[in-house]
Amino acid sequence: MKLLWAVAALLLSCWRADASTAGFIISPLSKMKLINDSVELHCEVIGNPIPEVQWWFIEGEESSETFTQLFDGARNERVRVNATYIEHATSTIHLLSLTLDDTGTYECRASNDPDRNDLKKTPKIKWIRSQANIIVIESPKITADPTEVVNQTSAILRCNLTESNLSSKGSYWTLNGKVIEDTKSDVNKYHAQLSLEKITHAESGPYECVFDTEPQVKQTIEVKVLPSVGAYKHSEHGNENDKVVLKCVAHGYPLPTDWVWFKEDAEDGREMPISNFTNERYNIKSTPNQTLLTIDELDMEGDSGNYICSGTNELGTNTDKIKLRVRSRLAALWPFLGIVAEVIILVTIIFIYEKRRKPDEVNDDDDVGSAPLKSNSTSNHKDKNVRQRNSN
Amino acid sequence: MPPTAATNLGYKPPDGGWGWVVVFASFISIGFSYAFPKSLTIYFKEIQEYFSVSYSEIAWLSSVMLASMYAGGPISSMLVNRYGSRPVVMVGGLLVCTGMALASLGTTIIHLYLCVGVIGGFGLAFNLQPALTIIGTYFQVKRPLANGLAMTGSPVVLSTLAPLNQFLFDSFGWRGSFLILGSIVLNCCVAGALMRPVIKPAQFQPDNDLSMSSRKGSVEAAAENVGSQSGENSKNRSTGQSFVSRYIDISLFTHRGFLIYLIGNVVMFFGFFAPVVFLAPYAKHQGTDEYSAALLLSIFALVDMFIRPVTGFLGNSKWVRPRIQYFFSFAVSYNGVCHLLCPLASGYGGLVVYAVFFGLAFGMLSALLFEVLMDLVGAHRFSSAVGLVTIIECGPVLLGPPISGALVDIFGDYKYMYYACGVFMLVPGIFFFIMHYYNYKKLNEEQRQSVVVDLMTSEETVELKISQIKKPCNKTEDGSF
Repeated sequence: MKLLWAVAALLLSCWRADASTAGFIISPLSKMKLINDSVELHCEVIGNPIPEVQWWFIEGEESSETFTQLFDGARNERVRVNATYIEHATSTIHLLSLTLDDTGTYECRASNDPDRNDLKKTPKIKWIRSQANIIVIESPKITADPTEVVNQTSAILRCNLTESNLSSKGSYWTLNGKVIEDTKSDVNKYHAQLSLEKITHAESGPYECVFDTEPQVKQTIEVKVLPSVGAYKHSEHGNENDKVVLKCVAHGYPLPTDWVWFKEDAEDGREMPISNFTNERYNIKSTPNQTLLTIDELDMEGDSGNYICSGTNELGTNTDKIKLRVRSRLAALWPFLGIVAEVIILVTIIFIYEKRRKPDEVNDDDDVGSAPLKSNSTSNHKDKNVRQRNSN
Repeated sequence: MPPTAATNLGYKPPDGGWGWVVVFASFISIGFSYAFPKSLTIYFKEIQEYFSVSYSEIAWLSSVMLASMYAGGPISSMLVNRYGSRPVVMVGGLLVCTGMALASLGTTIIHLYLCVGVIGGFGLAFNLQPALTIIGTYFQVKRPLANGLAMTGSPVVLSTLAPLNQFLFDSFGWRGSFLILGSIVLNCCVAGALMRPVIKPAQFQPDNDLSMSSRKGSVEAAAENVGSQSGENSKNRSTGQSFVSRYIDISLFTHRGFLIYLIGNVVMFFGFFAPVVFLAPYAKHQGTDEYSAALLLSIFALVDMFIRPVTGFLGNSKWVRPRIQYFFSFAVSYNGVCHLLCPLASGYGGLVVYAVFFGLAFGMLSALLFEVLMDLVGAHRFSSAVGLVTIIECGPVLLGPPISGALVDIFGDYKYMYYACGVFMLVPGIFFFIMHYYNYKKLNEEQRQSVVVDLMTSEETVELKISQIKKPCNKTEDGSF
């Protein structure tokens, strides 16, 4: 009898084991972040049927804790929850624009119990939970010296990470977001230094000293120079009644915000500004990188000459000059006629020479039957011989 | 004795003297024909922006020009058969000149297709065939050397035109440059003026020397021989012959050597030009900069330039001349092997080595390309032969680079294209070796048979002549006494 009960219990448990309770595959991890940064916590749960996942925020000390559930869009749209329920449950919560108040314990709760939302039963029994701590701290102060480099030929950039509890493993520098080689250092943990011997437009830009802490902290030092303005081609050609495009490009940081074109007056050398409204033949298109001046229907006298492009940024202005030459429509005609004349002369010389050298042979160049003429003459000789023989 | 076909021109070619001037003239004509379409690519970017068309539309310009050049082959052959080389070349030069001059006034891209592509292409076709044909009339013993020297025109003119075109473009823009290029091409007329038709003295007809009446017949026969084969056909056969075969020798399609050459060439041309076109892009793909890639092409052109006369000289030597078809087969196979090994070249140094070997291969093949055709069909059928060959080669030449480009696009790697080109050249090479071995054997047999027949007929004619001479002698003896 007892054996029969044991077998029945075994069978029953086997049948019930088909439905498995929920279990965590991936639990959320604790993180420390700076103010205004963003963080994401990830949670994956397996179970049959697929469990439901919820995120809860726990504040306060033990025994006087407050629990708040976090939905998608909570905290003024700063919370985003992304969940998928395919084969197993995954859920990711994103917190954007962190503030100090976001510090606390975040809990990932999962349950596949059909009674889990029953108000009459205690939640703790039916839901499994996993917790992670998020600590939001103020950005530690990095003293940067100098704060900005303006129009200098050389400089030494320094960053000091003081007044912070964070431990640093090292530091490095970046320019325009790209890491500068040879600046990675394990020795300079709290003081970073970069020396720039010669500052040209290639070395200008936003530099960042980055400290390898958890989380990473950095400070920006901007190195600004006058824009380097250069013409794409210093000498341009255009054809009469055609159009031409004059181009100037700029390098350096910051890029020019204003581009102006001038035309140098032929007589007195004064510079006349050109804009889109000066003449409907002119069209100026500018971006911070480059500027294009298109001139339609070129006029040989009026449009030839020097054009000056000038680019201005917050520090100052730089210019470059382009010389425009407008060719007349008939410019290529003279070499053409010259070479044609040369060809005609050569051909005439060749034919005359041929006719003078062998006048009896060069009668019909194209006629294949030139041979009979010669043979006639030789056969005449033979005839003479025959006649002579006969006469003899 | 080289077992070549149809060496009986009916006269002895000068093999020198004015012939070398003709080689120089052919050098210019051939140079312009091959180099001109390639050198125009410098203007493409500017023209593309000017007319606001896509890159493939502008690349069509080269294709139309090349297609017209090859399609104009048979027409060119017909005209050469009828009028001789000189007027055809001069008309060709004029055509290209007018084509370019009209193109400089062009307003649409279609206008350019017609002027530069069709008219220019035909003009170049009228330059190419006659230049090749006239070498065959002037040279017999030194013909491979003459051919090699003449074909050197292509790389020399190309390396002259390329920087010249750049200079013209900078100074005059594309319209002015087209006009001036038209006048430069007009120099082909000068080359044409130099192509004096060869003077054919009526001599060395031993079996006709003895009697007066048959002498005149022999001279006329010699004239007809050196004239057009088709002329002879039209005189000897009835006037019921069709118009086409009066001007072009369709009977060539039954000529064994010609068929071998044609079949091999059609397959070969699929892989002939594509490696040249893709040399620079392949180098850039491997990571070399623009200037080094351009330098590769210059190395290639330089090696090509020097190897062509050398190949001509080698082809002329007494060891190679009788078996020149084998030399040609070797050149084709060597090309194929070169391409198959190209993907193994690593780094810039490997590419330089490849460029040198490829230059050697390309030059050898180009120098021999038309010499072997002359060798196979003989000088006076050559004109029709080259016309037929070019129009049939039109297809592979046009399709080759786009197919290779498609291969590169599909696989994203250049090595499959090189393997394909290598195969396209190696297979014809081996085909040539086998078929020419068979062909030489057959020609040897035929020659032995014809020598026997000649001996028999000459014995008969000698007997006949002796009997003829004895009769008048008897008469005069009777008359005088």
